[in-house]
Amino acid sequence: MIFLCAVLSILLSLTSVSWAAEPDVTSTVGITDSGALQEATRVLEEELKLAARPQTYMIIDLASNVILIKGRGVELHRIPIESWSASHLDQLMTAHRLRERPPVNRRKIDPAVGAEQEPISLGDMPTTYTLLFSSPLRVLVFSNTNGNPWQWTVQRGRAWWRRLTVWGNMLTGDQTLSPPSLDLTVSREHAQSLAWTVVEGMPFLIRRSTP
Amino acid sequence: MKRVLLSLWYVVISLFLVTLVQSSGLPLSDAVTAQPASIDHAGLQTLHVRYKTLVKQLTQLMPTQPYILVDTARNHLYIKRGDQVLLDALASTGSGTILDKPGDSKGQWIFDTPRGEFTVQSRLTNPVWVKPDWAFIEEGLEVPKSQADRLESGVLGEYALGFGKGYFIHGTLYTRLLGKNVTHGCIRLNDDDLKSVYRLAKVGTPIMIF
Repeated sequence: MIFLCAVLSILLSLTSVSWAAEPDVTSTVGITDSGALQEATRVLEEELKLAARPQTYMIIDLASNVILIKGRGVELHRIPIESWSASHLDQLMTAHRLRERPPVNRRKIDPAVGAEQEPISLGDMPTTYTLLFSSPLRVLVFSNTNGNPWQWTVQRGRAWWRRLTVWGNMLTGDQTLSPPSLDLTVSREHAQSLAWTVVEGMPFLIRRSTP
Repeated sequence: MKRVLLSLWYVVISLFLVTLVQSSGLPLSDAVTAQPASIDHAGLQTLHVRYKTLVKQLTQLMPTQPYILVDTARNHLYIKRGDQVLLDALASTGSGTILDKPGDSKGQWIFDTPRGEFTVQSRLTNPVWVKPDWAFIEEGLEVPKSQADRLESGVLGEYALGFGKGYFIHGTLYTRLLGKNVTHGCIRLNDDDLKSVYRLAKVGTPIMIF
């Protein structure tokens, strides 16, 4: 019984839930790499549609480990990804629009006190949050815990819970219950910067890594 | 009971080890997220041509003239042409604070600088500020009925560039607050930087704000 449980746990952990390996940071599109070229072409086709309109958009590039904020094809800002894991990303083909910004604790101006009140700043932005999109996609953003055991435990707990949910759905054969999901770990400042930048309705594209 | 607990313990330990392996950056499996369709040499050449064509099309969408880039998190305004930075100016952008609209239980103003892509719609010299309702309300003053009572000269600097919905890039008397999020959504610059922006930007110049 004990042996069976241990083997089952390890097998579950290593099966094809497509928990992606840490990608190669130096990955580039090369003519001999047909998978990367197909994926880069797919993303470019989608990006062209977004860049043709007056808007800013995001590209989460898992092949290069970076989040790009872009407008008209121009890179405006980049946020390095420290690590990531994903499930069901094979379902992602088009742009996803953000449903809402992460919650921000805005201060209210009290005319009785006076106009000069503390503004919000990057430091007020959340460091761990979930981005939900109009089409099924969930992006969990974690900040680097820098060795803080409590934050590490909370973040790992969330990741475990999500995986257990996916595994449960796999075992029951109901994979439709698991939307595509992506966990991103970035530095604390970059997590806050991302929360600051995203706005409701903002389109996101995801460039997947290839073998 | 003891056996069940022990089994659970094994499960937890296994998951913990897997998590450790993952957080250490080692691969868990060779599972991939993008499965390429098999492709022959001719197909690969075609795909490469397609890719290069798309890159060219994307390049054609990029601004060829100088454009304004505003980083609201770090309060900087840049003027760029391609990759070249023509101006890097300290700015003040929206405070993100809120103010309730009197007599409207659900209405409120949110003082954010809008994010996205805009264009310069107007270029003004010696602009006069037409104070909106919120400017009076946040100071605890009554909103005047006469338009003349809303006019205030000299507070926006020598120039102002409008980019729609009442938002402007303009000057400020409060230069000590540059680099901070203190405005009601407009973008403030010091006099010298404002002059450079006015000189470089034309009506139609793109403004990208993030």
